[in-house]
This record gives sequence, C-alpha cells and structure tokens, in this order.
Amino acid sequence: MNGKKSFGGGGGRGKASANQQNKDGQRRPMFRRRKVCKFCSDKIDDINYKDVRMLMPFVPERAKVLPRRISGTCALHQRKLRTAIMRARQLALIPYTTE
Amino acid sequence: MNRKYELVYVVSPEASDEQVGDLHTQVGAIVQRMGGQIEKTDNWGRRKLAYEIGRHKEGTYVLEVINGGGDLMKEIDRRLKVIDLVIRHLVVRVDEEQGVVERTRAQRTENSRRRRVARGLPADRQPGEGQRGEVDDDREDRFDMGEELR
Repeated sequence: MNGKKSFGGGGGRGKASANQQNKDGQRRPMFRRRKVCKFCSDKIDDINYKDVRMLMPFVPERAKVLPRRISGTCALHQRKLRTAIMRARQLALIPYTTE
Repeated sequence: MNRKYELVYVVSPEASDEQVGDLHTQVGAIVQRMGGQIEKTDNWGRRKLAYEIGRHKEGTYVLEVINGGGDLMKEIDRRLKVIDLVIRHLVVRVDEEQGVVERTRAQRTENSRRRRVARGLPADRQPGEGQRGEVDDDREDRFDMGEELR
C-alpha cells in the first residue's frame, strides 16, 4: 500500500460505486490520483518572485496563472504564488502575455 | 524603526559596467545619508527580458537588500523613477515574510521531532533513513484524512 495513490483511489471509489448503481455501465477510472499541493508536499515555505525556475511550471503557454483546480495548489500557497508571479512580471522575469 | 527591504532594478543594456557600478554607489549614498545600511548586493548580470520595455530586449539586473525605514525606500524609489538608465525597479518589504517562514520552519522541525520521539525513535533523523521517514509521516496524515472523508 503506497500512501498517495491508494487514498487518491479512496476518493474516486465513492464516485465509482455511485456510477455502478446508475446501471449505465460506464465506470469512472478507479484510481484518479488525488492532487497534492506541490508547496505543501515539498515543504517549500517561501514562494519567491526571484526564483523564476520554480514559478515557470505555474505559468503555462499563454502566461496566465495556472488555476488551482488544475495544479492542485492549496489556497494559501496559490495566494503566495500569485503575488510572486505578479512581482516577477513587473521585473520582466515572466511575461504578462504571449503575443 | 528597522525594516528589511529588497530592491531590484533593471538597468538598460546600453549602460557600461561602470555606469552600473555608479548606480550602485548612488543608491549606497542615499542609504548612508538616510541612516540605513546595505546588507547584500547581488548582480545577476545581463539577462533577457520576458517582454520588451521601451525597445529594450535585455537588461542588467541588480538586487540590493537594504535595512532601513520607509522614508528611505520612498526616497530611493523616487530617485530611481527619475533616472532614465533604470528601466524598471521594484521595492519589496521582506522582514515580516521572512519571520513567518522561519517560524513555520521551526515549528515543523519541532513537530517532526515530537512525533519521532512519540514513536520511540531518536529525535533527529538518522543518516540513511531520510526519505522513508517522510513517507511514513505522510501516510499517517493521509490516513486521518481518509477517515474523515468516508
């Protein structure tokens, strides 16, 4: 039993059984991995605007801030991440947009 | 009143190294005059800008960590706005953030020590068990969470 995945399945299992009762036979995949906040799990305390390499994964192609529902970042860290990105943008370390 | 600020300014790529040094001494002079001190200076060198700032595509980045009051930073901010050679600058107060970070870090190590002692392990992590200890802790946390969800 490896902690992360099995419990991600725990959340999905509830949904799958509900679907089974719906008789349409379509099951959701049993194991949907639970998203974990990167900053919580890696124990990164300060989200710094100078560390561009850390911020880049949260700024996809169009240079928008990656939403929480996709990245799985917790509210606290998303807030810090947002200010860091906004500061980095002012200094032209990260683009506001791509043309 | 002693606060810590970070100042980053971007100097136009046309500026020579001398001019960049000049700017640094200029900032230093203001800091001196207003009773502050420069804790650290870091020249990141020339790097590409993420977007054009008034036809410039590159810039020299300089970071200064300054101890001083708010009026000092206000003065620096005003002066940098006037200087044409500086194409962008940013002042951020950092002392409070740093305090919070240190506190959470201290709390975390303290917590993990306490948990380890409760499990009958030595307080500090032994060499070689690094990752496993972490996974153990995680599993415990997730288990609690799973119970609540059901």
